[in-house]
Amino acid sequence: MRIARWVALTLVLALVVGTVAGCAGLGAKKKPKVGIVFDVGGRGDKSFNDSAYAGLEKIMKEYGDKIETKFLEPSGGGENREQLLRQLAELKYDGVVAVGFLFTDAVTKVAKDFPNTKFALIDGFIDKLNDKSNILCQGFTEHEGSFLVGVAAAKATKSKKVGFVGGMKFALIEKFEYGFRAGVAAVDPNIKVFVDYIGTTGDAFKDPIKGKELAQKQIKDGADVIYHASGASGTGVFEAAAAAKVMAIGVDSDQYLSAPAAQQPYIMTSMLKRVDVATYDFLKTVIDDALAPKGTAPKYKGGYKTYGIKDNGVGYAESNANAIKDYKATMDDFKSKIAKGEIAVPLDKATFDAYIAKLPKKP
Amino acid sequence: MFRKRRLGLQVTAPLMAVGFSVLVGSVIMLAIGANPLQAYAVLFGFSLGRIDSIASILFKATPLIFSGLAMVVSFRMGLFNIGVEGQYMVGAFAAALAGFGLKGLPAIIHIPIVMAAGMAGAMLWAALPIYLKIKRGVHEVISTIMMNYIAYSFLHWLLADVFLDRTQVLGQGGFGSPRVRTPELAASARMPTLHKLFAAVGIQLPHYIYVSYLLFIGIALAVVVHYIIWKTPFGYELRAVAQNGPAAAAAGINSERVMVKAFLLSAAIAGLAGLSDLMTFFGYYDIDFPRSYGFNGIAVALLGRNSAAGVIVGALLFGMLARGAEGVQVMTGVPAEVITILQSVMILSIVVAYEIITRYVRTQRKKEVGA
Repeated sequence: MRIARWVALTLVLALVVGTVAGCAGLGAKKKPKVGIVFDVGGRGDKSFNDSAYAGLEKIMKEYGDKIETKFLEPSGGGENREQLLRQLAELKYDGVVAVGFLFTDAVTKVAKDFPNTKFALIDGFIDKLNDKSNILCQGFTEHEGSFLVGVAAAKATKSKKVGFVGGMKFALIEKFEYGFRAGVAAVDPNIKVFVDYIGTTGDAFKDPIKGKELAQKQIKDGADVIYHASGASGTGVFEAAAAAKVMAIGVDSDQYLSAPAAQQPYIMTSMLKRVDVATYDFLKTVIDDALAPKGTAPKYKGGYKTYGIKDNGVGYAESNANAIKDYKATMDDFKSKIAKGEIAVPLDKATFDAYIAKLPKKP
Repeated sequence: MFRKRRLGLQVTAPLMAVGFSVLVGSVIMLAIGANPLQAYAVLFGFSLGRIDSIASILFKATPLIFSGLAMVVSFRMGLFNIGVEGQYMVGAFAAALAGFGLKGLPAIIHIPIVMAAGMAGAMLWAALPIYLKIKRGVHEVISTIMMNYIAYSFLHWLLADVFLDRTQVLGQGGFGSPRVRTPELAASARMPTLHKLFAAVGIQLPHYIYVSYLLFIGIALAVVVHYIIWKTPFGYELRAVAQNGPAAAAAGINSERVMVKAFLLSAAIAGLAGLSDLMTFFGYYDIDFPRSYGFNGIAVALLGRNSAAGVIVGALLFGMLARGAEGVQVMTGVPAEVITILQSVMILSIVVAYEIITRYVRTQRKKEVGA
């Protein structure tokens, strides 16, 4: 009996060693594989997904045929998200980016089953992760970027009235609102900020007609700079602004670049949320780790990473250089103050009220 | 003699239709520079060659069995209930309310309550269209489409403002954003999966499979629907009203009552379509709750030639194509859109093939009678 047990143990050990050695041998030859699973809509949305794709493109350019890449689109809600992530992990992908917080549950489940695949979850939060986790949650300080364009709006307004048009009213978009209002107040607390939300549903992000109506209303009330955080509804805001010859501020990507030429002069800047940077950073560490000789300390770290002003995760667009040239110095001044931690930008009603209370009163 | 040939035709027709759509798909794939042989090998090999794929097909087919049956009931009544889409979503939301709102019940009581809530919610959403149809002559296609839109927005509002789960954990400094979803269903409201059942016959399903007893409930319901339509007085009345309203009325059938009953029955079945996702997969109703089961149910009912048994076959075919598409997308360079096109061409050609056969059979029969 005892001998049999020893023989069995030795056999198992030999098998394990053999497998590990075999894998190591394979690993040296195998190309690193990375992939992206987009949110519904996929490429071509001119914002979120396209930004993530831009990050992947940069990776493809940099590594060429040293790596294998793949991007997938879920067909809609339900089981599909999880299955696509699972397929990639099953094919031994080294890194997978899940674009958007709707992947939260799917990433949680699949990451548990495939400890050798690293997952990045953009905008989502999964509790109790650490450095060693194979999940990296990537968040953005949208309020900080919104603060900077708030500064620009306050500098640019002549009527001392500016507007904010939000998409769906929920916590994520309120970060944009309060950051913007704080930026305006930092320049001049007496400037009036009109705040309107398009709706309480996800459809609020694709309702340009309502976006246009709200912008027109704000313009009628005297606003001459309008910042929108409303996804595809923003095209309506741009239309209204260009028609009334007032300024608009874009969101997420540099919307000056994707706007029709007639509207471009009126898009003074955009608040940038660099999903491409987050995607690129994550994929690069994963690929470098896979290509590095055995024994090198891994560059990848799991857990949480916040992309803020410091690491260029959020910022403002400068392609309409003419429109912001007079305010750029002030904006950059605030930018460095935020980066140094001298200004804590508010992100919800409570922190905003506290922030306003501390501002020096202007006559 | 002829009967045998007719049966043969009915089997070969869908096969030929599948062959035709595979051909169309190949042309598209060649045009975009992909390898059709490889894609089809993956499509069929991946979806039929692995136990997790088979189970996933069953999971994907489950909601379509319900929405397909709901369509069969309404089609047999001569009504076009496009509202199955909105009805199953309202039903699923109502079921979610019953799932997280009630606590401390044993599963054996809680699960039936959740299912009843799903049916009730869907019937409520169907009540107005059928009322308008009977009392005001408003066409049900128009009113149910409108009710679908109202359902989307109404449910979004309920989710985002009224029933949002406010207990969600967020990171430091507002990291991440709260998900737009209801609180989670009580454990007693979760429909058990088929793992134990499969294990009993020696098949170990992977843990990431969600096919549940709702599959069997769907199959049982197909039998019931078949029985109701063909073996009960109500089924007889239903078919009579659908085929010739005035004649049925002359025979003393209260056609309005029959219509109301049939429409509400269709809605009640629709109310079960979302429960597979709600009670086994998500465990909550969220902004990302799957759509289109209603519209796909129309295609499934058409594929199944408006028969309860055909619906099961159609739903399985849909499940297989959806599963195959996942494999094709991951393992080959073919985008998912091509599979969607393939799916649509397949449905279209099957429907056309059936139509051709029906006509052929009709002319043959006339000839035989003539001879």
